[in-house]
Amino acid sequence: MRKWIPYIFILPTFVIISIFIYYPALNSFYLSFFKVSPFGNRKKFVWLDNYLELFSDDRFIRAFSFTIIFTIVTVVVSIFIAFFVALLLNQKVPGVRVFRTLIFAPYAVSTAVAGALWGFMLNPVVGHVNYMMKMLFGIQVNWITTIPYAAYAVIIAAIWKTLPFNIIFYIAGLQSIPDELVEAAKLDGANIWTRTWKLIFPLLSPITYYLVIMSIISAMFQSFAIIDVMTRGGPGDYTTNMIYRVYLDGFRFSNTGRASAESIILFLIMIVVTFVYFKFGRKNVHYQ
Amino acid sequence: MKKVLALLVIFLVVLSFGEVTIQFWHAMGGWRIDLIQGMINDFMKANPDIKVEVQYVGSYEEILAKTVAALQSGTPPHVVQLNEISTKKMIDSGVIVPVEDMIRKDPSFDKKKLLPQVLNYYSIGGKLYSMPWNSSTPLLFYNKTLFKQAGLDPDKPPKTFSEVISYSKKLVKKDEKGNIVRTGITWPLYAWFFEQWMAEQNKLLVDNNNGRTGNPTKVLFNNDAGLKIFEFWNTLTKEGLMINTKKGDWTAARQLFISQTVGMIITSTSDVALLLSESKKQGFEIGAAYIPIPDGVQRAGVIIGGGSLWIIKQKNQAEVEAAWKLVKYLADVDPQIAWHKGTGYFPIRLDAKEKLEKQGYYQENPLHYVAIKQLLDTIPSYATMGAVVGVFPEIRSAIENAVEKMLNGQLTPKQALEEAEREANKAIKQYF
Repeated sequence: MRKWIPYIFILPTFVIISIFIYYPALNSFYLSFFKVSPFGNRKKFVWLDNYLELFSDDRFIRAFSFTIIFTIVTVVVSIFIAFFVALLLNQKVPGVRVFRTLIFAPYAVSTAVAGALWGFMLNPVVGHVNYMMKMLFGIQVNWITTIPYAAYAVIIAAIWKTLPFNIIFYIAGLQSIPDELVEAAKLDGANIWTRTWKLIFPLLSPITYYLVIMSIISAMFQSFAIIDVMTRGGPGDYTTNMIYRVYLDGFRFSNTGRASAESIILFLIMIVVTFVYFKFGRKNVHYQ
Repeated sequence: MKKVLALLVIFLVVLSFGEVTIQFWHAMGGWRIDLIQGMINDFMKANPDIKVEVQYVGSYEEILAKTVAALQSGTPPHVVQLNEISTKKMIDSGVIVPVEDMIRKDPSFDKKKLLPQVLNYYSIGGKLYSMPWNSSTPLLFYNKTLFKQAGLDPDKPPKTFSEVISYSKKLVKKDEKGNIVRTGITWPLYAWFFEQWMAEQNKLLVDNNNGRTGNPTKVLFNNDAGLKIFEFWNTLTKEGLMINTKKGDWTAARQLFISQTVGMIITSTSDVALLLSESKKQGFEIGAAYIPIPDGVQRAGVIIGGGSLWIIKQKNQAEVEAAWKLVKYLADVDPQIAWHKGTGYFPIRLDAKEKLEKQGYYQENPLHYVAIKQLLDTIPSYATMGAVVGVFPEIRSAIENAVEKMLNGQLTPKQALEEAEREANKAIKQYF
């Protein structure tokens, strides 16, 4: 009996995860080998046709490459900015708590609302960004509807949205670094540059490690709302990333088989990324 | 006390036996949610044995996706509102009860009372599959006040593409740094407008008579007619005479017009009420006209857009009958008039239109009249009946993507047209 008790305790969670995650995941794997009618009442087994179609479709190739660019830029920029902002917010200056709260605020905003806010701010006619740019430099940019500005717009919004999460973690990490270590480095004559890169950054590597994975996941899977609200994947399919492609094929075009194949590819990419990162990460992450 | 309660329970049980509950899913947000609820309440008052659960589900796409999910779990809604481009998909689905089947059994409904153009759109092979409900067409609205300022005749809106270009040139205003502060025209970046201009030139969008005499096998827009439209769009944009929105952004287009950044807008007739009230707030006068057409072309007319009501098959036939009663009611004269006045979608019935004329409604609302007149002037043909094709969303998306690439200078109008054709044909081949 004792042996079974732990299993009984995890059973409710397991049941819920099975219904909402494992079953749909397996089902989409299964459906990726079928052509499915819009209403799901007719199915035809087509082997790997859905996958082969995707790899010969330049729309999908473009979505794939935009996903890579979008993910790398948002993750790198957001983590670096977060690290520096966290360093600043970790200073003991008056009012720092107020600043922290203000900087965390975007995290409490839903992604769709964030997209809408940036959509307003970058609006070519009534947006604040263009108003300022016109006042300062006398130029106007159609952020949402022109290449390459549409990509900048969604990347800026995505970074803005993920930044607070990363900052929270970095601040927590910074606060757990013992003062003696920094003091000792100071006594040894390390300047602020050396202290930051040779001491603090390596000490925070477990957090960076975790944040990179989390940011990749959010850039690949949760960027849907920002893109849908801001650009609808346009102009053309310039800002269509893979998750938006899945939405288009699955919900706009009712092509379940193709959308399933796409999400399986997305899943495989994520497995590879995680695997590589674990292999590489273990060597370079220092746990205290 | 207990006895009374018990009696009450029995009473309720007996009552609920005779009652049928049906679900109605629609896509009309904002103030229209209350408007629809009001209409449904009137319906339930007249039919106490039917309980209607109305739900605003979101966009048309969401309704379609949720209907599919509900069907698979065995609890489909009874009446769903879907947009015109879902028509073929629904017919092929095998999950609907064609409205024609219900009309045949019900002599109290005469489908000849529907506007012929509306009836044509939703009938395939003479059979009406869904009940037209919220129908609209595109219309040109223009800012009379700006027209006067620019030295244009406020009673002579542009009729052709070249007139739109020359009018827009006069409307352009630049600041000292050369930035455009006011320009000619806008319309939402939506392939619906492309389809309209194909119809105006009496040209088909897809083969097999726009898919009305057989399953379409390819698109037919890569020709001179299509090129004229793409070149018009491209010229306006390149010369700074037009501001484009992102895909399907009707709100942005309206904002541009209301803020008087552009002098003209082509948008749906369902925006009439909104544009009128906003223009009053902004203090400018607004006019409406038929949409401009390519030069040297005989005006063939416009295609219906908007939505219709579909009855979904049910296990319990009584529920289908109740659903039909609801659909019939919503397409009736008075609800249609209320709907028209509240939204700007036009009445889908001839008798509703006549009743409005008698009431003098169109004298007071000349813009609404232009909208319906443009539709009635439409010459019936396969081109103006509109296309029926299963992969309509993909075709629209292919056209919109190509247009955006053209406007960004990645493709010439000719290349853009070719790419749209290629993508659309690929989608048609994959339809299952």
